[in-house]
Amino acid sequence: MTFDDWYRQDRLPHIFCAGCGNGTIINCTLAAVDQMGWKKDDTVFVSGIGCSSRAPGYIVTDSLHTTHGRAIAFATGVKMANPDLNVVVFTGDGDLAAIGGNHFIHACRRNIDLTVVCMNNQIYGMTGGQGSPTTPRGCFSTTTPTGCVEMPFDLCELAIAAGANYVSRWTSYHVKELEKAVKVGLETPGFSFIEALVQCPTAFGRRNKFRQVADHVEYLRAHSLLKAKRDRLIEAGEAVPDDMFVVGELARRKRPALGVKP
Amino acid sequence: MILAIDETRCKGCNLCTKVCPYKIFKEGKKPNRRGIVVPELDRPERCTNCRLQQLYGRTLCGVCQLTCPDQAINWIEEQPYELKKVAIEY
Ligand SMILES: Cc1ncc(C[n+]2csc(CCOP(=O)(O)OP(=O)(O)O)c2C)c(N)n1
Ligand code: SF4
Ligand code: SF4
Ligand SMILES: [Mg+2]
Repeated sequence: MTFDDWYRQDRLPHIFCAGCGNGTIINCTLAAVDQMGWKKDDTVFVSGIGCSSRAPGYIVTDSLHTTHGRAIAFATGVKMANPDLNVVVFTGDGDLAAIGGNHFIHACRRNIDLTVVCMNNQIYGMTGGQGSPTTPRGCFSTTTPTGCVEMPFDLCELAIAAGANYVSRWTSYHVKELEKAVKVGLETPGFSFIEALVQCPTAFGRRNKFRQVADHVEYLRAHSLLKAKRDRLIEAGEAVPDDMFVVGELARRKRPALGVKP
Repeated sequence: MILAIDETRCKGCNLCTKVCPYKIFKEGKKPNRRGIVVPELDRPERCTNCRLQQLYGRTLCGVCQLTCPDQAINWIEEQPYELKKVAIEY
């Protein structure tokens, strides 16, 4: 089997814009799920609202496409009612960190046995490009027409501080690394959070000088700083470049978890 | 096996032209019936996965397939006997 066997072929091609990174992240997640040897009947995908949250609609298993921000709340219910199910959540930066922020931190605190994949395009894609809690400083959106002046959330740091058992970050360029990270997340009991930075050519790229889709992907590649390299910089007392973001496995631990398969 | 792009799915984003280590995908020139400029394949038989996936029994490389946001890239069975014009490179 390959990841393609998890897609509802009759639903493809999907509605994402040309060059949208969401499709890449779904591929990588399904490739990891495929390697787990899970039965389709025992696997559930849950999402909220947003372009990213449309993902479960293209997958053959049972799924819940819930209200905005509540994916993790619904997923918690599914997992606590039947711990035998494998529950994977697809979410976006707005869905997870804006309207759903409280569900996110409390699911990390409770350390519920879910795997959450966040497609962070740093914008509200579906509603036309409003700034989100992860829009970087200086970036343009319809609500920050002169450049964003707020500090963004670091979603991974948030998950670590709140107590998640597994946390990692990659981008839509790092497909193999992302696939492996999702697999470790699926294997780890407790809350696993994987952030995938993605390009949104329509709402973000167009306003932020990424004329070609590949330019944005190249930006993501060039501004990724491997965790090991970051740690070496800190050890040597050197400055960590502030226009870069850390990628790699950021947390892996064994705090007490809830809803783990008996 | 041979690399192929499903024209009914490709949206012409050209990400595959960026990620293939052999640069097999080249930007297309003409729009197809749906108005999409699908990339062209430059000697796809050079792809490791085309040559070796059956021998190894698993996908090798496969970065283009994972990257393609539109699930348009696949390896399909080759016709059993197909004449190919081969240009000799010195
Ligand atoms: C309760 C509620 N408030 C607001 C909205 C409008 N809304 C729909 S999608 C969205 C933002 C989605 O952003 P994100 O989660 O980042 O997804 P993306 O489209 O970027 O993938 C908003 C605000 C809604 N559907 N429901
Ligand atoms: S608006 Fe952005 S996130 Fe939504 S489908 Fe288009 S490119 Fe993807
Ligand atoms: S990555 Fe996929 S959708 Fe984009 S041009 Fe290549 S085959 Fe087409
Ligand atoms: Mg978003």
